[in-house]
Amino acid sequence: MLLEIDHLCLSFGGLKATNDVTMHMEAGKINGIIGPNGAGKTTFFNQISGVYKPDSGTITFDGKRIDGLKPYQINEAGIARTYQVINLFRKMSVIENVMVGMHPRLRSNFFDSLLHNKKQREEEKNAREKAMELLEFVGLEQYANEQAGALSYGQQRLLEIVRGLASDPKLILLDEPAAGMNSAEKVELNTLLRKILARGVTILIVEHDMKLMMDISDRIFVLNYGQKLAEGTPAEIQKNPDVIAAYLGGDDE
Amino acid sequence: MKNLRLITPGKIILLAVLLVLPLFFSMIGFSYGVLVCCFAFLYIVAVSGLDVDFGYCGQISMGHAAFFAIGAYGSVMLHQYAHIPVLATMVIATVLATIVGAVIAYPASKLVFHFLSLATIAFGEIVYALLLNSPGGVTGNAVGMFTDPINLFGLELESNERFYYFGLAVVLLFLLAKYLMVNSKVGRAWIAIRENPHAANGMGINVTKYKVMAFAVSAFFTGFAGAMYAHLVRYIGPDTFTQKQSVMFVTMMLFGGTGSIPGSIVGAVLVFSITEGLRMFEQYQMLIYGALLLVVIVALPGGVYGETKKLFDNLMDRRKGGNRHAA
Amino acid sequence: MLLQILVSGFVLGCVYGLIALGYSLIYKSSGLMNFVQGDVLTLGAFLGYTFFSVLGMPYWLALICTIAVAFAFGMCMERFVIRKLLSRGVLAIYIVLATIAIQYILQNTIQAIWSTKMLSYPQIFSIPSVKIGGVMVQCESIFCIIMSFLSMFGLQAFMKYTRFGTAMRASAMDAKAAQACGINTSLSTGISWGLAAGMAALAGILLGPIYGVFIMLGSTIGRKGFAAAIMGGYGNMYGAILGGILLGVVETMVAGYLSSTYKDMIAYALLLLFLFVKPTGIFNERAITE
Repeated sequence: MLLEIDHLCLSFGGLKATNDVTMHMEAGKINGIIGPNGAGKTTFFNQISGVYKPDSGTITFDGKRIDGLKPYQINEAGIARTYQVINLFRKMSVIENVMVGMHPRLRSNFFDSLLHNKKQREEEKNAREKAMELLEFVGLEQYANEQAGALSYGQQRLLEIVRGLASDPKLILLDEPAAGMNSAEKVELNTLLRKILARGVTILIVEHDMKLMMDISDRIFVLNYGQKLAEGTPAEIQKNPDVIAAYLGGDDE
Repeated sequence: MKNLRLITPGKIILLAVLLVLPLFFSMIGFSYGVLVCCFAFLYIVAVSGLDVDFGYCGQISMGHAAFFAIGAYGSVMLHQYAHIPVLATMVIATVLATIVGAVIAYPASKLVFHFLSLATIAFGEIVYALLLNSPGGVTGNAVGMFTDPINLFGLELESNERFYYFGLAVVLLFLLAKYLMVNSKVGRAWIAIRENPHAANGMGINVTKYKVMAFAVSAFFTGFAGAMYAHLVRYIGPDTFTQKQSVMFVTMMLFGGTGSIPGSIVGAVLVFSITEGLRMFEQYQMLIYGALLLVVIVALPGGVYGETKKLFDNLMDRRKGGNRHAA
Repeated sequence: MLLQILVSGFVLGCVYGLIALGYSLIYKSSGLMNFVQGDVLTLGAFLGYTFFSVLGMPYWLALICTIAVAFAFGMCMERFVIRKLLSRGVLAIYIVLATIAIQYILQNTIQAIWSTKMLSYPQIFSIPSVKIGGVMVQCESIFCIIMSFLSMFGLQAFMKYTRFGTAMRASAMDAKAAQACGINTSLSTGISWGLAAGMAALAGILLGPIYGVFIMLGSTIGRKGFAAAIMGGYGNMYGAILGGILLGVVETMVAGYLSSTYKDMIAYALLLLFLFVKPTGIFNERAITE
């Protein structure tokens, strides 16, 4: 198992945002998390990526405990993420955004950077080439020197994903990547996710769009009121009476 | 590919002009001009450092006079009490300023903007109070201290002309260092933190570490500028290191424009020239700073250099028919 | 000795409290910091002096006129500078820097109008001092303490029981929701800047007769007032008063019993200590951290 989450709990005041959630995820799969609005999906995500510290329970990634680590340490450990609200470095160029994503993999220290020595120059050259290759991967190469803030919404979403991939993660967390995309873009996203998987990156995705999730996910976890309601293949989930009840009874999106 | 050309014909011409400028000043009998340039040089170093901290990493400091003071007093005191030659004292004092900067920056890195400005003001006030009431009067308290000129491996920089060339070399060195830093992984991390600290953290950047680094680097720049000041004027007193000085650094930085190398140069030179030119209105000096600061914030948010560049870029854009990225 | 120190500590503390209260008010209403407060105190002291001893107004009238002028100044500053910048989407830190610019402009203007000489108020009360518990206490000091407390309670009552106060509290909590309820948030923000300036000027006219009137009277107090506000919990009204009095008493105690040399450092050291160790202050005000 690549990611093992056991008995995770987090409350805000009296509200149990995450209540004894256990999820185990295999490498090489697209794992989806769904749930009605307010089910605690993003809160759950934010614990994996280190934004929130869980009250209790463990998160084990690739055999190492990562719960309670800071976001940058979790990124270093091999988990990249995108954000629900676009969180690019708007005034930096597109390629520089990708290069920031590579930060934890670059070995030059402060003095290498100050002196621009051979090691640093080679590393920068390779980083730039790799960034370009990544931009080609999602078809953004012609915008490499544009300001990130000048891209269209869909392009910014793609850049977020590429920036995440730049750190060579083993797992990438995608927080509602299809939000605001039109149906043509969603089809492209589907293809892109498969391509990411082919690069050897496991995917954990939170998404509102049920149809998309059923199409793309290998395994789906359902959250409701901070608790895990069900897990299984899309076909199993679609038939699960608890899930149907939660979606029909709850405030469906 | 990003344009990383360091040496351009324009810069060579500018350097040539700067090299013969003292001769020109002596020809027209305006030797005071050399001294003005010497001051401008040290302010360029100080403001460039502050720009690393604010313009690139996004941390305000309203207390950089403290690092200016540590550089100046540190160098003068080491020379006076430990009899170390002046150039070495400048380096040691600068390192000291850097260490103090890092120590302050660590807890300060958690504070948001307004409260960071308060913390840095308080730090500046504490340093000022220590200069004025030092234990055992080692700083000369209100009287201040006299000191010697820089000794460059046996060559005393006792004339303003000699200091001018030393200052010019220091400026080039510091600007080169700034250029190399900001065009590297470190610079990218700083800008990322300025643009979006949460996302930077999520991208694997240790935000605290890089904030401390930026603050320490800026303390290094400003500390060295302080040491230059001390051995140019050859006298230091606490009045030079008040909050007014910190505000002047910030005014210079904002007036020229943040987050660029030329911006800090333009700001330091312009604001210093304006205050020198208006010396006869010295009792209105604070009014002038205040007005300059307000004008920049209200009318020129990108600073003189930033706004000019924007104008120029737009013009070029139109000429190229919108094909902005042809170059 | 102790009683005397306590009284002068209280006087100073009340002044810090008034200044810090203004900071909290402004922070609550616009999320900003205002560096002009201290120099408005100076302005108040000079205006009070002019009304009272140059124009010969009775003291109470001079007091009211001073506060009114400062109130207008605060409101104008909010309307013509702060709001203009806010509406242009300028970063908060630039607006804070703009208040520093205004601080310097105001300081220099006061200097140009009244010169740099130290002025002193003529006697205000017919008896200069009264004997309390065996020590002579200046009437002006007692008046300063009483007036400070009155205005603090007055402000609380204003916030609680008047329409404006409710509007201000509402817009401080959630400006958009308040607007949706038909509250004129821009007016209430303006009034809070006006009130803050008014309190600073009040502090000035109360302090002037005790300390004398000079150009740098307010700027140090203004800066130390931040320490008071942070200690109490920035943005908390009660915290501002408590922090102010605490700072005043501690400072005077240190000066009286230990050494007056490091008196000025106490406030800044406390400011740093609280910011670094307990940024939410005594009242645990949450506003300050990210």
